[in-house]
Amino acid sequence: MADKRSELKKIIMDTRTLPTLPSVINKLNSLSENDKSTIQEMARIVSSDQVLSARILRLANSPSYGFYRVSTISNAMILLGVNVVKSLALSSSIFAIMEKDNVGLWEHSLGVGVAANLIARKLGLPECEEIATAGLLHDIGKVIIKIKCSEAEKDILKVVRDRQIYVMEAEHEVIDTDHAEVGGWLSKSWFLPDKLSEPITFHHDVAKSENHRIKTAVVHFADVLISASGFGNSGDCFVPSIQKIAWDTLKLNEQLLAELVDEVEDKLVEVKNFSLEMMSD
Amino acid sequence: MQKIPLMLAKAGMILARDVFRGNAPIGMPICGKGTELTETLIARFENMDVQTVHVEGHPVWEEGERSFDDLLRELDGRFCKTLQNPLNVMLYDIYKAYLIKSMGGDSGRQAE
Repeated sequence: MADKRSELKKIIMDTRTLPTLPSVINKLNSLSENDKSTIQEMARIVSSDQVLSARILRLANSPSYGFYRVSTISNAMILLGVNVVKSLALSSSIFAIMEKDNVGLWEHSLGVGVAANLIARKLGLPECEEIATAGLLHDIGKVIIKIKCSEAEKDILKVVRDRQIYVMEAEHEVIDTDHAEVGGWLSKSWFLPDKLSEPITFHHDVAKSENHRIKTAVVHFADVLISASGFGNSGDCFVPSIQKIAWDTLKLNEQLLAELVDEVEDKLVEVKNFSLEMMSD
Repeated sequence: MQKIPLMLAKAGMILARDVFRGNAPIGMPICGKGTELTETLIARFENMDVQTVHVEGHPVWEEGERSFDDLLRELDGRFCKTLQNPLNVMLYDIYKAYLIKSMGGDSGRQAE
């Protein structure tokens, strides 16, 4: 069994055909980890990508921020903050990989990203943007399995349909691993920071997350909420079981949960419109 | 809460979100949420290029839209595997209450 898994790992991680992140993101990541780098340096790198520059300027000028006419990338980066810019760069390239033919999964991921952001803000957690990005990426393993093992993916879907079990269980049967682990491998090969790769790898098993358990718990919970609301389609027809450890880590209670459901549902109306807009582009 | 075209708005409905000029969420709201719509107000919105409004409850039923019973059945289906977990039961109850609230209570249209 172990052979099959490592063989699969090799196929999945074959770097020649793995979708790559634009080099802009890697450069941004390494610059932002270095405390000596300046906003101007980062702005220069961002300016080399005209699509990303346009997105950042559009965001900085959007009425939800309420700044007055931002015209340079470095001003936009100062106003928005480096983390927001990094998340934007990452999520817009993920969208390009994901959108191809799986609208349901894209909507699910987008929903989880939005819900993770809401939960993080509600609980007053630091690094909300990162948590939202982790939420957006949590099912990236499913995309990779679909791209790399389309045959196995069909078998998985068949098993899920015939026996009414979770995608995760079917994945273990067919390919001896699961989308969370595959997502973990991918995030390693993309050199994503631990605060993103841990929530991706352990969103179905929060207890195993050691360094970023809070973030992992938020993503797990966001996944549960979005599945419960039936928004998008992750491939699973059933709500995952809420893990006690995630509940305790976030110190949730019934009152908070009810408020979160209200806020998430309210936000999903907008997300639905946004996703329809993106699809029609 | 339901988003409806202004054409279908009727006096007596309650706004669930602020209304902005020209339908874009820019600038100052021209009418706050919680306001009860009147014929005059709707006519004014028309003049100000408002195309859609969010109203409380679920007053307008369109062809092919799922009824409250359908939504509840789907919710039951989604939760059927995990109701032995007390936390999931809590979430289920909250969602059910939310559905009832957002569909304007049991007085909404039932399945034929």
